[in-house]
Amino acid sequence: MKRRVFFLLLVIFFLSCKKDLPIIFGCIDQNALNYNSLATYNDGSCIFDTISPHQTTPYAIVSPSGFPNMPVPENNPMTIEGVALGKKLFHDPILSGDGTQSCSSCHLQSAAFSDTNRFSQGINGSFGDRNASTIINVGWNASNFWDGRAITLEDQAFGPVVNLIEMNNTWKNVENTLNSNAIYKDLFKKAFNIDDIDSTHVVKAITQFERTLISSNSKYDKYLRQEVQLTPSELNGYVIFNTEKGDCFHCHGTEMFMDNLFHNNGLDAEPFTDLGLAKVTGLPSDNGKFKTPTLRNIEFSFPYMHDGRFSTLEEVVEHYNSGLNYSSTVDPLMKKLNIGGLQLTNQEKQDLIAFLKALSDPDFIENPEFTP
Amino acid sequence: MKKTCLIILGCSLIFISCKKEKGCTDFAATNYNADAEEDDQSCRYNLSLNFTHTVDEEPLEIDQMIYANAAGQNYNVQTLRYLISDITLHTVNGNSFLLDEVHFITISDSSTFNLEIQDLNSAHYSSISFTMGLDSIKNITDLYLNESFFPSFAWPEIMGGGYHYMQLEGDFTTALQGYATHTGGTDGIDFSFNTNLPIAINIDNVNTTVIINMEINNWYDNPNTITLTSDGIMEDSNKQMQLKQNGMTDVFSVSVNQ
Repeated sequence: MKRRVFFLLLVIFFLSCKKDLPIIFGCIDQNALNYNSLATYNDGSCIFDTISPHQTTPYAIVSPSGFPNMPVPENNPMTIEGVALGKKLFHDPILSGDGTQSCSSCHLQSAAFSDTNRFSQGINGSFGDRNASTIINVGWNASNFWDGRAITLEDQAFGPVVNLIEMNNTWKNVENTLNSNAIYKDLFKKAFNIDDIDSTHVVKAITQFERTLISSNSKYDKYLRQEVQLTPSELNGYVIFNTEKGDCFHCHGTEMFMDNLFHNNGLDAEPFTDLGLAKVTGLPSDNGKFKTPTLRNIEFSFPYMHDGRFSTLEEVVEHYNSGLNYSSTVDPLMKKLNIGGLQLTNQEKQDLIAFLKALSDPDFIENPEFTP
Repeated sequence: MKKTCLIILGCSLIFISCKKEKGCTDFAATNYNADAEEDDQSCRYNLSLNFTHTVDEEPLEIDQMIYANAAGQNYNVQTLRYLISDITLHTVNGNSFLLDEVHFITISDSSTFNLEIQDLNSAHYSSISFTMGLDSIKNITDLYLNESFFPSFAWPEIMGGGYHYMQLEGDFTTALQGYATHTGGTDGIDFSFNTNLPIAINIDNVNTTVIINMEINNWYDNPNTITLTSDGIMEDSNKQMQLKQNGMTDVFSVSVNQ
């Protein structure tokens, strides 16, 4: 009797608060091969894949001092294998329609991965209408191309291969060519574990390589690390640059030497021959605005501006000093527009240029890691 | 005797195991608990903060040469970016709740006008305070490398380092003259200021919106009449102080939609 009462109470106790949770036995570990999403109770049946057939080595990006963390896309993690493949592709004319041009034909390392020609010549001999952009610290770019039409580097890299006046190829053709190449088949397998090479992975490899093109060892960087001194002229240029006297820093500020924004820097009066950002946004208020380039290695990346109109730094500084043109979208930061510009003395202009040349990083220009 | 004990023990077990579940019983709350039978004062609510901008009490129109400041100059506004920090709600009995540490607003991106605060305690709040810019603890070079206002808001080391508090730019008098009302910590001096404005809100509703308005024209008036020039003011600590004083007077106001 005692026992019966006790069991009765126990049963009531259990029944009184039961929830409607069916118990399903199975493997509840999501990493297991036999993961059962319906299972509520682990029955110890999980089977794991212990030998992974495909392994890559992570490539660690070290952000230089004063830089944000590099935003690497989740679907394109950096690997040693991917970077090596990207480097090979970047330098290989196999991507172009007639096998004569590579990315590096117009993005020369010696020119900070830009073109010393004002406009680059494509495979059919025709010319573009903008100066090839540098590829320096592009992993931190918020957008790409002078008009920002590609948000990600991956978007950017899809462009030149099929551009009629650049490589003039088709992605179908590129894929076929690469798929019939045993070396590339092997490299893509190693980097991405794929048997069939496609444009997406070509672009992923190239952009992985591009993200490694980091310049942070100029004389100015060494000065910040207190390893070298700047000359009095460079120091004076540094002051002009970083105060409102020259007011260069508002667009070319911080260790990145760019603001990731677009400006009309008073190059032309209206009407504009190149609308720049407005071509992408369609907004008249963006007419004549172009993406701020980094000034790192500016000594090597001549000619200057989106259309390469200036061949020397002297001409560039003189533009801001006395050559500003009014237009309805000109940036309010173009100082003293009504009198043509900054009105610096000759000595001040020379000092400013001396400082700009302290941003040159020979280790970047000559880095054997970047050459094939 | 033993039987009685067992029965009492059993009954108490039933009572303990089945006591009413406690939780938030308000359907409007973010943590509404459908199983809860007894409210335990744990309800949390959302709050919207809206940042608005006016000139002479009318909504700002970008790039229109239609405004006149106290010094009698015509001007337009092409760029307005600023940082608001330590946004805090206060209750009558002295409790305070930090809503956001640093918020960046730019008129070129309307998504920055809005800040959604989640899971706020149900309470009666009597004031809201915030800092215009960054105080000297926050205004440190490279402290906000990964925020959206880097690199464009950096304030060069040579002028004191840290970040701009505000970039207000446009043309004045004629289209040929640009002005740049840039405020920040000139030479490392802290020109940020804290504003504490009274509000009366009961957070017990899903649709509470607190509106913080910047009256742009008041930056240039009261108590200091400021004349726009094309010279930079980032190294002008007198101008920075004048702007701070004007800012504290009546640039910001707060209203509530509930």
